[in-house]
Amino acid sequence: MAQTPVIELRHIQKHFGTLHVLKDINLSVAQGEVVVIIGPSGSGKSTLCRTINRLETIDSGEILIDGAALPQEGRELARLRAQVGMVFQSFNLFAHKTVLDNVTIGPMDVLKTPKQQAREEAMTLLRRVGVDTQAAKLPAQLSGGQQQRVAIARALAMHPKAILFDEPTSALDPEMIGEVLEVMTRLAREGMTMVVVTHEMGFARKVADRVVFMDSGEILEQNTPEEFFTHPQTKRAQDFLDSILKH
Amino acid sequence: MSAQPSIRDFLYEPPGPRARRRITAATVVSAAAVAAGLALVVRQFAVTGQLDARYWSFFARATTWRFLGQGLAGTVKAALAAGALTFCMGLLLMLGRISRFRPLQAVSRVLIEFSRGVPTLLFIYFFFLAAPQLGLKLSAFWKVAVPVALSAAGMVAEVLRSGVNAVPRGQTEAALSLGMRDGSVFFKIVFPQALRSVVPALISELVIVLKDTTFAYVVNYADLMQNAKVLISNYDALLSVYLVVAVIYILINYAVNKLAEAAARRTAPAGKEPLHGTDTRN
Repeated sequence: MAQTPVIELRHIQKHFGTLHVLKDINLSVAQGEVVVIIGPSGSGKSTLCRTINRLETIDSGEILIDGAALPQEGRELARLRAQVGMVFQSFNLFAHKTVLDNVTIGPMDVLKTPKQQAREEAMTLLRRVGVDTQAAKLPAQLSGGQQQRVAIARALAMHPKAILFDEPTSALDPEMIGEVLEVMTRLAREGMTMVVVTHEMGFARKVADRVVFMDSGEILEQNTPEEFFTHPQTKRAQDFLDSILKH
Repeated sequence: MSAQPSIRDFLYEPPGPRARRRITAATVVSAAAVAAGLALVVRQFAVTGQLDARYWSFFARATTWRFLGQGLAGTVKAALAAGALTFCMGLLLMLGRISRFRPLQAVSRVLIEFSRGVPTLLFIYFFFLAAPQLGLKLSAFWKVAVPVALSAAGMVAEVLRSGVNAVPRGQTEAALSLGMRDGSVFFKIVFPQALRSVVPALISELVIVLKDTTFAYVVNYADLMQNAKVLISNYDALLSVYLVVAVIYILINYAVNKLAEAAARRTAPAGKEPLHGTDTRN
């Protein structure tokens, strides 16, 4: 691989007390790549996702963003975080701010974008995710699907090098999952680098460049979706796929 | 019972026919008891001559009311100044208390306990008697406002802190993930939400501050209470003046509490109860 990976994890170890949640994780994500992390609950996939911008600390190992080591704290950490967007399971839109302000606050506070420009860019992004008509509302007035699309626009407003999706559809009603996945699919097609923790196997199969299978804190398999879903190499991956694809 | 769901609906099941009869009976009995008590008080007043014209006639004069009005203005001014001071000090104490810097945390914790534990009157005496000897000379106004604020600041700090703790962790995480620094995260994301949830509790705290300003008589600051005392000695009328003044205090504090309720309704997010709302809806 000639290019520097956008995200690179080397020998990540993490414990929650006596529980070994991440066991020697090595993962690299190339420019424009869509990596989908799947695995049973409690396998550490969400934790892994959250270590990438240090919302979870690690015990040892190295995290590189675009070749630069992720700093432990302070201004440098904030600067790297600004380059990696994050979309949460529970949306986490700022409850006291309007939809528009949710999208402009990042650029204005962190990138010092002038207000007018930030608003114009935000409106463009909101239009792109199809919620521009809700710009003046508060998050609580929106449906879950709409909120999550605003959250994606908020991440995009920072012009990130990559976006982390931590189970972005797990808190949504079934009829709203589709609209969020559609936005994510479009992003992937446009070349956004993405790490997606999800239970949506259809999305993984259709959109992922690579599927990473985790169980009990370990990466057991990495493969193209085609290979992974048709010829899983490990017994645990087979069992996992059997259990979810049977119905 | 109103159509709006009340706290009672959550506490008790709807009464059945027997319970309804019992409630009606209890209501009648207690109303009768209250009426009898009131009658007794009035009778006792009459017997002891407290209803005599000389105790009440001066309330017909405009000067009496102007004098009480001046006192009321003094009370309101002192309460507002003390309230503003309380908020500022409470905010600083809260920031210290949640700081990651351990020594500052410890100092704030001690100050908060000190503020909450020492009676207001002791603070007043300190500023009235001890502080001037130490070279700190304040006007009568500040001799009321500062100690009253000191004694309420610890409580306000804790109220603010409970509001901060109630803001979901995800709000902070989302702000951090955008690359916002700690200061921005706190003052732009966490604190505004915390403040909204505790505004009703803060306004209720203002009632306590307002009541504490009655200690003004100690330092001869002309508040409602102090002016009432002047009236009492002028007209040799104790009960009537205190009664009228008590009613005035009740009316003001009732208004402030109503304001707290209105604020609670305004600031509560749709479908969510305010954190410390003085919820007295029926």
